[in-house]
Amino acid sequence: MAGNGNYDPSFAKEVFENVDSGEEIKMCMQCGICAGSCPLRHEMDYPPRQIFTLIRAGRRDEVMNSRAIKLCTSCYRCKVRCPRGIPVIDVMHGLAHYGIKKGIIPRKGTAAFGGEFWKMIYNIGRIDEKTLPLKYNLLEGLVPGIKSTLEMAPMGIQMFLHHRMKLLPERKIKGIKDLKKMLDKAKEMGKGGAS
Amino acid sequence: MKYFLYGGCSLEAGGKNYMVSLEPVCKALGMELEEIEDWNCCGASISYAGANELSIMTLNARNIAIAESTGGYDIVAPCSSCYIQLLKTNHELKEDEELRNKINVILKEGNLNFKGSLNVRHLMDVLYNDAGIDKIKSKTVKSLNGLKVAGYVGCQTVRPYGEYDSVERPKVHDQLLKAIGADPVPFPKKMQCCGSGIFLTELDRCLGLVKEILEDAIANGAQIISTVCPMCALNLEMYQDKVNAKFGTSFNMPVVYLTQLMAVAFGMDLKSEAALDYCVIPPEGIIKAAIGG
Repeated sequence: MAGNGNYDPSFAKEVFENVDSGEEIKMCMQCGICAGSCPLRHEMDYPPRQIFTLIRAGRRDEVMNSRAIKLCTSCYRCKVRCPRGIPVIDVMHGLAHYGIKKGIIPRKGTAAFGGEFWKMIYNIGRIDEKTLPLKYNLLEGLVPGIKSTLEMAPMGIQMFLHHRMKLLPERKIKGIKDLKKMLDKAKEMGKGGAS
Repeated sequence: MKYFLYGGCSLEAGGKNYMVSLEPVCKALGMELEEIEDWNCCGASISYAGANELSIMTLNARNIAIAESTGGYDIVAPCSSCYIQLLKTNHELKEDEELRNKINVILKEGNLNFKGSLNVRHLMDVLYNDAGIDKIKSKTVKSLNGLKVAGYVGCQTVRPYGEYDSVERPKVHDQLLKAIGADPVPFPKKMQCCGSGIFLTELDRCLGLVKEILEDAIANGAQIISTVCPMCALNLEMYQDKVNAKFGTSFNMPVVYLTQLMAVAFGMDLKSEAALDYCVIPPEGIIKAAIGG
């Protein structure tokens, strides 16, 4: 997937048309307050401001393979401070989602966890806090999955001992069939369609 | 005062102490809470990995539409993540007719309709603005007698809309703490993100965030941290061992929900109502010393 570095003028258009909230970057004036406000800016390869410029410059591979677009904690500080009113967080989430749809997954853990999270909502309508981390751990494979689970076990046991684990398996909501129909429709009607 | 309650997934599990304590506290303040029937998950902060914006909005529009079809009260969300997801959907659908029409085509699959007749509010908003400081003071029979509390606000509790408090310098949490006799310490990191939904998958990157918050609370004299979000509570309390292992620190700071402290101050049972025994880092000693018993 490594880029050839060639200028690609169609990328901004691709983002505007396919990425949720992607067109919002047109308003960016490169002030950098989003970068200065981000709690994980020091962990990002490109802060949001640079991501927006790279999109305009057509640097598709750098943007789609950046770890920045998967490191958003959804704290909304960038959004409240942006003087041009850009919902920076929504753009970052949109880019991350678009990348995953296209099979470009720079931060495997978050993509896998979020994917399992969504699957559970789609299948039962709610999140079962005790099985979700297990499912996520086992995605790594059986042996590393068991290892990760054992590392997290002391925390799980403490939660259990302090009545903070729901023992019964989470049941499907009553309206799950309708919810699925709605979510299928929402997927189809969303930006860029279902594919 | 009647409200719809949207408790969400966490308040039935990891954030159970929030639910156990908020119910008697709200009741004591004359607030009646009715659960939204057959609610679904709000999508939280991480669903974008598996779904587009419209799908996540659909989750929240369904919950609001169910509430709208059964009554006309405001929706109260105690979990900051649920709150922001519901609020965002409510805002955007009320403002954007085209989007609202789109969502209503989707909701029709389940014979529901979003009208935009309700407000979505955080529990803190309702405690502060509807119940009010005077009423909370009048219910306080066991003052916390100057207990030094770090009132951690977190992110999604007030950001991005700032509906009931400043997005940069919030004061509501501290005002509520003062009303029950606590002494909220100045705490610059009260708005720093705890890592939220990516904590589990980006552990090494997020432990540092929690370390900074705990350090700041302690440096400012706090004996205990108060939160109003199950994600914040989980990350701040349950990862202290991992923070200690990574940074060589020795944090052992109790983390409770604001409603647990309120239940204590209202003279309620420390276990069945204040749910203090649900905390993994025990807060009982500090709290009992403060209330004198």
